[in-house]
Amino acid sequence: MTEPISIVVVDDHAIFRSGLKADLDGRMQVVAEAATVEEAITAIHRHTPAVVLLDVHLPGGRGGGGAEVVAGCADLLGSTRFLALSVSDSAEDVVSVIRAGARGYVTKTVSGAEISDAVVRVAGGDAAFSPRLAGFVLDAFGTAAVAAVDDELDKLSARELEVMRLIARGYSYKEVAKELFISIKTVETHVSAVLRKLQLSSRHELTRWAVDRRIL
Amino acid sequence: MREPLVRSDARVIAGVCGGLARHLGISTTVCRLGVTALTLVGGAGILLYVWLWLLVPTAEEYARNGARSFDPRRLGSLPAAVQRDFARGFGRGPGPDAADGSAGAQLFRPGTREIAIGGALLLAAAAVVLQMAGVNVAWGTWLPLLAIAGGAVIAWMQLDDARRTEVMDRAGATGTQGVARLVAGLVLVVVGIFPLVSGTGSLEQMWHAMLAALAMLAGVLLVLAPWVLKYWRDLETERSGRVREQERAEIAAHLHDSVLQTLALIQNRASSEQDVTRLARAQERELREWLYRDRRQEQGNLVDRIKAVAADVEDTYGHPVQVVAVGDAAMTPRHEALVQATREAVQNAAKHAGGTVSVYLEATPARSEVFVRDRGPGFELAQVPPDRLGVRESLIGRMERHGGSARIRNTGNGTEVELRLDHVEEGTTQ
Repeated sequence: MTEPISIVVVDDHAIFRSGLKADLDGRMQVVAEAATVEEAITAIHRHTPAVVLLDVHLPGGRGGGGAEVVAGCADLLGSTRFLALSVSDSAEDVVSVIRAGARGYVTKTVSGAEISDAVVRVAGGDAAFSPRLAGFVLDAFGTAAVAAVDDELDKLSARELEVMRLIARGYSYKEVAKELFISIKTVETHVSAVLRKLQLSSRHELTRWAVDRRIL
Repeated sequence: MREPLVRSDARVIAGVCGGLARHLGISTTVCRLGVTALTLVGGAGILLYVWLWLLVPTAEEYARNGARSFDPRRLGSLPAAVQRDFARGFGRGPGPDAADGSAGAQLFRPGTREIAIGGALLLAAAAVVLQMAGVNVAWGTWLPLLAIAGGAVIAWMQLDDARRTEVMDRAGATGTQGVARLVAGLVLVVVGIFPLVSGTGSLEQMWHAMLAALAMLAGVLLVLAPWVLKYWRDLETERSGRVREQERAEIAAHLHDSVLQTLALIQNRASSEQDVTRLARAQERELREWLYRDRRQEQGNLVDRIKAVAADVEDTYGHPVQVVAVGDAAMTPRHEALVQATREAVQNAAKHAGGTVSVYLEATPARSEVFVRDRGPGFELAQVPPDRLGVRESLIGRMERHGGSARIRNTGNGTEVELRLDHVEEGTTQ
């Protein structure tokens, strides 16, 4: 990738934004920053960046935070990808922003290199899963039921389940590929499929899981 | 240009004099005196007052109408629109939009007020005619009633539109049915109470007394209701404010005991990077637990215990331990062994490998599994000297004694310990 990936950083803490900018490596370039929901939606529409680094908790708007920004930029979801960033580990925050359309989630405590990798991955159209997000997926979809057909929305396929388990165990995509004797590309395909299921599934167990946690 | 003729907000009764005075450019006092003087001339002042009251809009109504008169469809029929506006007078909703579509949901529909006034006038005329025809009309009863009604109207006019609508909504008195229910309820109560109180009496006596009681009750109720309601609402606001205040105090107390103390400690130890990181991690964990704790999750179960173990090791060695848990299981003696084995594995990882330790717990009805992964140099079990009991005893031996299994493998990029406990024999061990 020769051209740097254009990025908009959305976070209400200026210190965190500047730290993040310093942490990102040379493959990407921050074109704009925003601190509130309204600012973010305006900036994203003006710059149409490849990736938006989006804090889950944001002031402004109707109080919907990051999920509201994603919803407000729904017309751009084809070209702009959202990577959610949060200090919060709670399922409410993570899953709601993913279901709004974000393509990944990382905690703010991860290193700059990890965030950069996740940005590149999201920019390439893949999903960036942290161990914690994989844990939520396994919790929500259950670890036992296996889909008979790969594109069944309500269950994970056996392979997807394996991939999720390994990610939850702290494996990187590369390590997952090595462990399962598949290519990294295949791992990415599986993770993207899981992301799609997480976003689209309306399985009643998932709904209940979400309602219990006041996500939906 | 003259000021438009609107009823004034600075009013004594209905703001007619104030509005008229402004319109004519004279002093309000002069205007009031003039109307009073006219009253002495056969009551003409009162007639004029009532007539203006009915036909002159309030400033608010006027503004609303003005905004709407830009609509070309309405230009031709402006008088009709103005009329309708006046007719609506009493029961209007809180905003300009309510004057259009939702007016039907109000207590008084457009035209109701005209009909009521017309009806009242007809009744009065009928009463006069009846009296001329020789029938005895009980003026003594009706005039006080009318006075009370007038008083009630003035009292209710002190409430603004929004409040009035709210009162109606709260009382469930919007719509004809609501009003009917309210009236029927009142009548039933009075009819029921009265014979109890009066004991035996003639029907006529009872009727008069009842009428008086009813009138008194209704009058007091109507006049006092707006104020009672206002104080009740204020009380409610104050109470909810107090609850919020209490909540805030509780949060403040918690933050003071935990976060502020830690921040003070961090400032003291600013020179020691390791201490600062450790303090920050511990505080973060504690605060996270307090904020995001899954309330449905029972305390003291497997997930809780594993997290406690991870926190403990994190504090001791200063390396972050990340726990991801799926599902949960109740603690049994065998799970106790699993927790102890996990502690050993996490401790080894933190001690020998350093860096972030990942712990993954998966508990299903069939089994509980724990994976502890580090990114250290890795080790082979065969190379561990036989006299070192840590791994063999605490991990493998302990798990096998409790019917589980432990596996240690080198992933090529760190070590992973896999602890597994099947639940099938649970029934016999419990």
